[in-house]
Amino acid sequence: MDFTITKNEEAFRLELRSWLEENLPPGWLDGNKELPKEKEAYSQFLRDWQRKLYEGGWAAIAWPKEYGGRDATLMEEIIYHQEMVRIDAPPLINYIGIHMVGPTLIQSGTEEQKEKHIQKILTGEEVWCQGYSEPNAGSDLAAIQTNAVKEGDKWIINGQKVWTSFGQFADKCFLLARTSYDREKKHRGITAFLLDMHQPGVETKPIIQMDGKQEFNEVYLTDAIASDADIVGEVDKGWRVMIALMLHERTGIGAELFTLEKRFNDLVEMAKEHEVNGQPLLKDSFIRQKMAGLYARVRGSLLNYYRNLTITLKQGHPGAESSIDKLVVSELTKEMAAFAMSIQGHQGVLWKEDALIDTRWQENFLASFGQTIGGGTSEVQRNTIGERLLGLPKDLGR
Amino acid sequence: MDFALSEEQEMFRGYLRKYLDDAGQTKLAREYSKGKTNELKATLQGLSELGATGINIPEVYGGLELGTLDLVPVFEEMGRALLPGCYLETMGFAVPLIKKYGTKAQKEKYLPEIAAGTRSITLGVIEPKRDFSPYGIQCFAGKEGDDLVLTGTKTLVPDGDLADTYLLLVRTDEGDGQTGLSFVFVDHQDGAQLQLQKCIDESKHLVELSFDEIKIPNERLLGEEGQGWTILEDGLLYLNAALSSMMVGGMEKVVDMATEYAKIREQFGQPIGRFQAIKHRIVDMKLELETARSLSYYANWALESEEQEREATIYSARSFATNAFIEVASHNIQIHGGIGFSEEIDCHLFLKRARYYESYLGSVNYYNEQIASGLGW
Ligand SMILES: Cc1cc2nc3c(=O)[nH]c(=O)nc-3n(C[C@H](O)[C@H](O)[C@H](O)COP(=O)(O)OP(=O)(O)OC[C@H]3O[C@@H](n4cnc5c(N)ncnc54)[C@H](O)[C@@H]3O)c2cc1C
Repeated sequence: MDFTITKNEEAFRLELRSWLEENLPPGWLDGNKELPKEKEAYSQFLRDWQRKLYEGGWAAIAWPKEYGGRDATLMEEIIYHQEMVRIDAPPLINYIGIHMVGPTLIQSGTEEQKEKHIQKILTGEEVWCQGYSEPNAGSDLAAIQTNAVKEGDKWIINGQKVWTSFGQFADKCFLLARTSYDREKKHRGITAFLLDMHQPGVETKPIIQMDGKQEFNEVYLTDAIASDADIVGEVDKGWRVMIALMLHERTGIGAELFTLEKRFNDLVEMAKEHEVNGQPLLKDSFIRQKMAGLYARVRGSLLNYYRNLTITLKQGHPGAESSIDKLVVSELTKEMAAFAMSIQGHQGVLWKEDALIDTRWQENFLASFGQTIGGGTSEVQRNTIGERLLGLPKDLGR
Repeated sequence: MDFALSEEQEMFRGYLRKYLDDAGQTKLAREYSKGKTNELKATLQGLSELGATGINIPEVYGGLELGTLDLVPVFEEMGRALLPGCYLETMGFAVPLIKKYGTKAQKEKYLPEIAAGTRSITLGVIEPKRDFSPYGIQCFAGKEGDDLVLTGTKTLVPDGDLADTYLLLVRTDEGDGQTGLSFVFVDHQDGAQLQLQKCIDESKHLVELSFDEIKIPNERLLGEEGQGWTILEDGLLYLNAALSSMMVGGMEKVVDMATEYAKIREQFGQPIGRFQAIKHRIVDMKLELETARSLSYYANWALESEEQEREATIYSARSFATNAFIEVASHNIQIHGGIGFSEEIDCHLFLKRARYYESYLGSVNYYNEQIASGLGW
């Protein structure tokens, strides 16, 4: 057992930290972390930020050097996320491009596809979204109905996608569409397309979320067009491409865990400062008990992650146990966010400019409900863990 | 980053598992609850020959001089088998304290015999109808020349019938606070009265020890006179790291049992593990287990490190594992249905052990409070 960070890793951390200090948007370090409200300005702000990351060589550190990355080690990726969370850096608008689509194209895209997209993914010129879920296909993703029909060297795509994050800004979509139908195995006959969002056949409508934000969308596809050259992998074999794509996002859960840890620390500060009945909340024995319990669980989930990381480092790929991390972090985030609300008492219902302490607590609470749904619901995660890790019998219908 | 037991430690676990499998795993606990100890004693001696009792003892005293992490596989495997005896108290409390506070003579007297497996030490802190706090300690050791004269009663002394020595927290000075408390060694031969107590966990033999003006030499004091509570708090760091590993071992067995049963038991024409009410519950049990394991590994690592949040880290493991063990052991009974409620199957043994540990030397609330104060809250 050894938790020491190597000299190289420490140097990496310091290099990134000092780069951030010099390059974060003006005022960021002084606490002005307000992002523009209006959509275009918001998008531009975050694209500029990604451009800056790119210019500093910090946009896609895990990518191979020849494609503009740093060939970062897994530990360096972890450190990268830790630093970004620590300083509360602006979000990465092209998260999907950098962490999922880019690595997939590098691994299995054609030369033409790499030529066309890689550089633009890095610079933020091409923001990506993922088009999987549909009104009738969510957890049962293989049930998608959006179809693509070949006409000459073109594919004509019709259907509807829903809950598409980043769709409101996206230039491109990594899209799953049905190209044939296999009665027995629904996941056969699905093809992965690199779809251009800026065309007449694609219409994006924002969906207002329960937290008032508009971060996901409906995407209507009406005779939308893609070409043969836009297919990743083979026709009808898109399921496999999608699975491989998801595996590329190897440290995303780490970032969520560090965020959870940071929020917990913020919660402690809140409970130290906020007074009830003449004493800080944190002196109340009920609050202390609950907070100590949360401390143990936040600690435990981070340590689980490090244990799974160790397995990944040793065997070169993640162990089955790592399927636990997503379930733990999303459920714990939700529980902690709810607790942060309730300790504010009745005034906890106030938000935005009327928030008792900081409206981020109210926002986190509302947003946390998306975390146990997006990326596979907690129930689906439990099925996966039960079946893959524990070897329990498969669910009916799977 | 390397957060795992080493290959050697995992290999050692393998030997222990095999050895305890051959010994019948929980069979020993079941026999002990009926008062039979022959096989148990032979097994404990065998474990000692495998090296289990020498791990954290210096070589000069006949030990292996390894680290606290090397004890983890032993605690886990013993927890899995619900193995009776005071290994936890001996290796996880007495040994680190003797190393740290013991005189040369005490080390020479106790450590080699512990390493050889011929002496085990249990712990007497709680007194009848009193609580776990300095005020609860009223057992008195008065001075008489070079001797101490001991009067009072200790209760809930774990597996006291198997122990050769009792490490007792007693009052050496008047008063009722933390001051005036000291630790003393009392050997079996010194003449304590032993009374077996009835415990819902029958594979745990709790005894009440009564002392009626028993004379022991002054040299039996462990550490400085009057420092007993401080020494206890120090010892509890070791004990709780060890205990959390023991609970993890028990939890692992419980999750295994539930998983295996859910695969083979069929109802409505299919294995019950296909029903999500069962499947998802087992997954949640697995999450509890893995989180407890991570916390316990880290706690045992932190004992020998400069970790800033050492106390909070160790007590997190204790607090989390305590609740988790009770929870998974309870679910395991439900998952087994009728047979889970029967004496025949082991489910209840684990639940009872989990309950036994719930407030062992401090409740979950007590340890949560230790976490809070450890973090300066
Ligand atoms: C914040 C957010 C962002 C998202 N971003 C994207 C995106 O960018 N691209 C995209 O394609 N999708 C996205 N999604 C969609 C997401 O992947 C789906 O919402 C999710 O997979 C669930 O599908 P569903 O909404 O159709 O719910 P359903 O599948 O209808 O589920 C409804 C309920 O039934 C339960 N359920 C379903 N099947 C089972 C089963 N076998 N066993 C037990 N319970 C079951 C579910 O757990 C859930 O509780 C996003 C969702 C959210 C919340």
